[in-house]
Amino acid sequence: MLEIKDLQATIEGQDKQILNGLSLTVRPGEVHAIMGPNGSGKSTLAYVLSGRDGYEVTGGSATLDGEDLLELEPEERAAAGLFLAMQYPVEIPGVSNMYFLRQAMNSIRKARGEEEISAGAFMKLVKERAALLGVGGELLKRDVNRGFSGGEKKRNEILQMAMLQPRICILDETDSGLDIDALRTVADGVNAMRSPDRGFLIITHYQRLLDYIVPDHVHVLAKGRIQTSGDRSLALELEEKGYGGVLGAEFAEVAA
Amino acid sequence: MSALRNRTAEPVPGFAEALERLRGEAAGSSGRALEQRNAAFERFQALGVPTPRVENWKYTNAASFANRPFALAPRGTVDPDLVIPHFAGGHKARRLILVNGRTVPQFSHLGGLPAGMTVRPLAQVLAETPELVDRTSVNDEPEHSFEALNRALVEDGAWISLEDGVALDEPLQVISILTEAESAFMAHPRHVIRLGRNAKLRLILTTVALGQAESLLNQVETVEIADGADLTIDRTLEQGQGRSAITRSRFVLGSRSRLQQTTASIGGSLIRHEMEARLRGTHSEAILNGLMMPQGTEHVDTLIRMHHEMPDCQSDQFYKTVADDRGRAVFAGKIFVHKDAQRTNSYQKNDSLLLSDDAEIDAKPELEIYADDVKCSHGATCGDLDPASLFYLRSRGMDEALARSMLTFAFTGEVLERIADESVDHIVRRMILSRLPGGERLAELG
Repeated sequence: MLEIKDLQATIEGQDKQILNGLSLTVRPGEVHAIMGPNGSGKSTLAYVLSGRDGYEVTGGSATLDGEDLLELEPEERAAAGLFLAMQYPVEIPGVSNMYFLRQAMNSIRKARGEEEISAGAFMKLVKERAALLGVGGELLKRDVNRGFSGGEKKRNEILQMAMLQPRICILDETDSGLDIDALRTVADGVNAMRSPDRGFLIITHYQRLLDYIVPDHVHVLAKGRIQTSGDRSLALELEEKGYGGVLGAEFAEVAA
Repeated sequence: MSALRNRTAEPVPGFAEALERLRGEAAGSSGRALEQRNAAFERFQALGVPTPRVENWKYTNAASFANRPFALAPRGTVDPDLVIPHFAGGHKARRLILVNGRTVPQFSHLGGLPAGMTVRPLAQVLAETPELVDRTSVNDEPEHSFEALNRALVEDGAWISLEDGVALDEPLQVISILTEAESAFMAHPRHVIRLGRNAKLRLILTTVALGQAESLLNQVETVEIADGADLTIDRTLEQGQGRSAITRSRFVLGSRSRLQQTTASIGGSLIRHEMEARLRGTHSEAILNGLMMPQGTEHVDTLIRMHHEMPDCQSDQFYKTVADDRGRAVFAGKIFVHKDAQRTNSYQKNDSLLLSDDAEIDAKPELEIYADDVKCSHGATCGDLDPASLFYLRSRGMDEALARSMLTFAFTGEVLERIADESVDHIVRRMILSRLPGGERLAELG
């Protein structure tokens, strides 16, 4: 489904290679976790896959169901079924959460040549899915992410994901800034979306999230490429030994 | 006169001809009132029409748009069906309607005003008791060209007066319509607004140009807000190509009084709004919010002079600007803290969005402080739409044009939420959306 081959990328205007020949395949139904020390290229991978400006792909490929992702605009990638739950969701004053969700949904439907969702059907759907994530009606009426707590913002990201029903979901440090209860709610939301035709790429710094969203595969990203892969136990080993202990001293994170 | 050379332009003869035509005809154009008009006109001629060499006119060339052969506005009426869409304030609102600067009583609805509240055409007051119009406490010798010109050529306007303790529960809307016309015309209306002690009023000031014409609206407002009184103004200015408007609002506030005004200046070849607020009592508050949104070759200019003359007052200036195409906006806001005005809290913020490489925004914040125990701040930002926000919307499937329009709309949100009247809020939202590319796709935000 998601096929990344020898992906190389730099930050625009800089020579330094951030992604350095990264290869990864996510098949339908699989949950992959990508862990790695600071500066390993985790967020760059998320942004390059979703098409954010400011990065330059210097080699390799990334396809979703055979379609070249790297050629597409961000909105076309969304229509193709890619979703990125962001580390820092943006606030949009003057635009209600509900309205934003409907615009997003209908934009994607339109791009796919489908009919817009009716107001009634949308309301029913959004209430249903919001309830699952513990997103109250009040949060739906408020401006997008405005004045939301860290946990509310992340839950809102998962709600968008649940509404847009993507093929491949990328979660970029979704666990950052969450207390244990919020983490559990977010994880429940993600788990509820696991299905045989949907893939997940979960980018995280800590093992904690993976206690709740159990991955099929764990990859360790460092220096712009996947250094080692394994099953869930690799995450536990990382937790115990640190990146240096698993990958060798040269990969140890510098203590802050 | 050498100091004035290049700083002002000689007024065109059209202004003198207009004064000649008004003589003996317009309200308050005989006897002592005429003398005052003549004196004001002399003052105007002496001051001249400011060129960009005058500091307050540095970014707006008055001579180029105002010093043109305008004739007095044609008398005329307007199809009521064209006015109704601009009604705001709910069905109980009272309305005074002006066409080309002159009140039209048959369109107006002023029934059931509370005892002690008067809303009249200024022309009536000028004809009967012109001495009531100008009070020295507010009206010093005008140092301002266009204010002097207004005094010379005023024909009509709104006279709004509330005695002590009087409150109007519903809003009062003054709609000022400018008609289409074959030849260039000008109007010089004057609004006199007086709130007695503890009086309360919600005012909606709507200026709309209908159809095509070259016109100059030169409006002066003198607003007195006595001790404990509370005035809220929602103001919209919507003009078209070839239309210029200069509005000069002078506010004087007594102790524990409050003024809150939110202005949307959207559209028009040239819009200039000058405000002078004088906090003359203690514990009063003046809030001036606004949105400017020039596009095409439009030019929108806001100048604020906030005078803290007494202690323990608060003021806030909050303006947002969106400039697109070759549009140009100017924000010059000054906080002036007089030496007795201890414990002043005064803020000013001006955030600008430049949507095109050819758009221009000039921001000029100024502080002049003579008291030592004050809190004053000013801040100005200017930039393009935030790339992270654009990406966020696009990653949710919205195309770039839609994302840009939605974020531009969102940028105006903080001003919109300061509009007091819900129906004005909707009108302004629609005005904004009508100016955004693909705004019709966001119609529900109206």
